[in-house]
Amino acid sequence: MGAILLVAPALLMIGFLFVYPFGYSVVSAFTDNGEGSWHIANFTKAVEFYSKDILFTIVIVSLSTAIIGILAVAIAGYLTLGENKTAVAILKWLYRWPLFIPFIVSAQLMRTFLAKNGMMNNILTSSGIIEPLAAQSYLDWRGIVITFVWKQTPFVALLVAGAMASIDRTTIDAGRIFGASRLRILIELVVPQIATTLMVGLILSYVVMLSVLSVPLMINAQSPTMLTVDMAWRINSYGDYGVANALGIMSYLFTGVVAWFYLRQSLKDKGA
Amino acid sequence: MTLKSVLTGAISGAVIAVSMPASAETQLNVITGGSQNMVEYVTDYLGPLFEEKYPGVKVRVTGTGPGDAGSQKILEKLEAQSAAGKEQWDIDVIVAAQKKTGEMKEMGLLADFRGNIETGKMVTRETAENALGVYVGGYVMPMFHSQTAIAYNPALVPNPPESYDELREWVKKYPKQFGYNGIKNGMSGVAFVTGWMYTYAGDAKTLQSGPYDAAKKETWAQAYADLKAFNENVTFTPGNAGTLDMLNRGEIVMGPVWVDMFYSWQGDGRIPPNLKLKLIAPGMPGQPYYYATPAKAANKELAEKFIELATSPAVQAEGIVNRFNWYPGIDADHVKASLDEKVWSKLFTDVTPLELAQKGKPFPIGPYFDDIKEGYEKQVSN
Repeated sequence: MGAILLVAPALLMIGFLFVYPFGYSVVSAFTDNGEGSWHIANFTKAVEFYSKDILFTIVIVSLSTAIIGILAVAIAGYLTLGENKTAVAILKWLYRWPLFIPFIVSAQLMRTFLAKNGMMNNILTSSGIIEPLAAQSYLDWRGIVITFVWKQTPFVALLVAGAMASIDRTTIDAGRIFGASRLRILIELVVPQIATTLMVGLILSYVVMLSVLSVPLMINAQSPTMLTVDMAWRINSYGDYGVANALGIMSYLFTGVVAWFYLRQSLKDKGA
Repeated sequence: MTLKSVLTGAISGAVIAVSMPASAETQLNVITGGSQNMVEYVTDYLGPLFEEKYPGVKVRVTGTGPGDAGSQKILEKLEAQSAAGKEQWDIDVIVAAQKKTGEMKEMGLLADFRGNIETGKMVTRETAENALGVYVGGYVMPMFHSQTAIAYNPALVPNPPESYDELREWVKKYPKQFGYNGIKNGMSGVAFVTGWMYTYAGDAKTLQSGPYDAAKKETWAQAYADLKAFNENVTFTPGNAGTLDMLNRGEIVMGPVWVDMFYSWQGDGRIPPNLKLKLIAPGMPGQPYYYATPAKAANKELAEKFIELATSPAVQAEGIVNRFNWYPGIDADHVKASLDEKVWSKLFTDVTPLELAQKGKPFPIGPYFDDIKEGYEKQVSN
C-alpha cells in the first residue's frame, strides 16, 4: 500500500501528461475528433493524400540515420585511434558544437548556407571549384538530410566516442601488433564492441528526426515533404485533428518498429 | 516593460485613484488578433490618439496572436460571456481576421454599428459586406486590406505577364525563374493557387460568394492537371519571406508576395529598390482585417467613436498606409487627400486603385476554400 502511495504522484503525472493525450489522439484518429462511430476514414484519407510524404519521410530519416552512423563512427574512431594529438584535440573541441544549436536555428543557418546563391556556393564559385552557372540550390530533400546529419552526428559521436574510450585497449594493440591498418581495426575490432551504444544512439536520433517540424518546413518547400509538416497543415488549415492524428499514429508505428529493437536490445543486455 | 515603468505606473495609478473619483476614468477594452505589430499599432499610435481626443478614457489593448487561431480566441471569449448570460461584456472593440469575424457575426456576437459612424459611408468594397460568404454589412469596418501580387525584377523582366495565361507561357520560356511557396508554406502561395482556380476552375463568382455545392470540386480536374504541369517549371520557395529572400538573391525573378510585406522589406533595404509589383488578370486574392464591436459591449458609444477615429481618412493615411504599407480599409480616394504624394505614389504606382478594385479578389467561401486546398494536395502535390 505504502509503495503505491509513493509511486502515485509519478503515475498520475504520466497518466495525465502522457497516457491520456496519447490515448485521446489514438481515439481521435479512429473517430471524428474523439466522438462518433469508429472508422478508418482518417487513415484512408491520410494515405490518399500523403502516400508520397509517408514514403519520403521514411526514406529521409533512414538515409540520415545511416549517414549519421558512418560519420559518428568516423569521428569517434579518429578520436580513439588518431595519432596526431593536435588534430584529435581540435576535433574533440569542434565536433560537439552543433549539439548546442536548436533545430530551428540549424534550419535557418542551412537556409542561408545551402541556397543557390548562398554561402556554400559563393565559396565554391569564388575559389573556382564550380562555375557560377553550375551552382544549384540544396534546399530540397538534400538540405533536410544535410541539416539532420549536421545536427545529430555530434550526439551519436559523443555516445560512441565515450563507448570507444572505455573498451579494452589491448584488443586494439593486438590488432596493431599483427599489422592491421587503423581502418581495419576500427571496423573489425572497435565497432563490434560498441555496436550496442551505436545502435541506441542511432535509434534515438531516428526518433528525434521523425518529430522535427522546423527543418522540413523551412528547408524543403517542395512536395513531397515530411509528415510533421502535413500534421501541422491539417490542424492549422482545416482544423482537422482526425487526419493529423492518423498521420501521428503512423509516426508512432515507425518509431514503434525501432523502439522494439531498442527494448529487445536492452533486455538482452540485462539478461547477459 | 521595465520594473521602473511598472512602479511608476503603479504609483501614478494610485495617485489618480486617490485624487479622482473612480468614475472619471473609463476604460475602453480593445482586443486584437494578429501579430505583435497589431498590438503595438493600438498601444503606440491609435490608443494615445484616442485618449488625447477623449480625455478621461484609457485604452487598454490585449493581443491574442496571429492567424485564425488568434481570432478564434476572441470568438471563444465572446461566446463564453454570451453563454453566461452577462448583460455587459468586457470587450469593447475587436480587431479580427476575416473568416472568424464572419463566424462571430453568424453567432450573433457582434453589433450592427456601421450606420452610426461617419466613416461608415466611406467604404464600398465587397469585403465590407461579405466575409468569405457571410453577410457582414453594417457589422464590420475594414481596418486595412492586404493584397497579394506578383513581385518581379524589371531589369530582367521588362514585360511581365499581364495574366495567368501569359504567366503560363512565360514559365515555359523561362523555366524555374518563377517561384512560389506552394500551399503549405504561407498564404501568398495559397493566394496564387486560389487565383489560378478563379481563372481556370470556372465560375469564380460562386467560389467567392456561394452557394456551396459539394459536387463542384469534381469539375476541377483539368485546372489541377494544368497547375501540376505549370509546377514543373517553377521553383518552390520556403514561405512568404522565402519568396522575397530568393528574389533578393536573384534565384528567381518573379513570385507572388504580400504587398505590405514587399514594401516594408523594400523600405528596410532587404530587397532591391528596383523590384516592382504586378497584379495579374483576372486577379489575385487579398484579405481585410476588421474592426467590430461586440453585441453587448459595455462602452458601446465609445467603441463606435474609436472605430470612427481608426477608420478616418487621416488615421488611415498615417497609420495604415504610411506606417504599415497596407491598403486602406476605407476607399482609397478618401485617403488620398491626407497622404504625402510620395507615400501615395509608392503604394499605388505598381497597382493602381482601379486595378485594385478590378483585380483585388476575396478568398473563396470557407467550404470551397477547403476544397481547393485539399484538391491541390491530392491532385497536384501527391
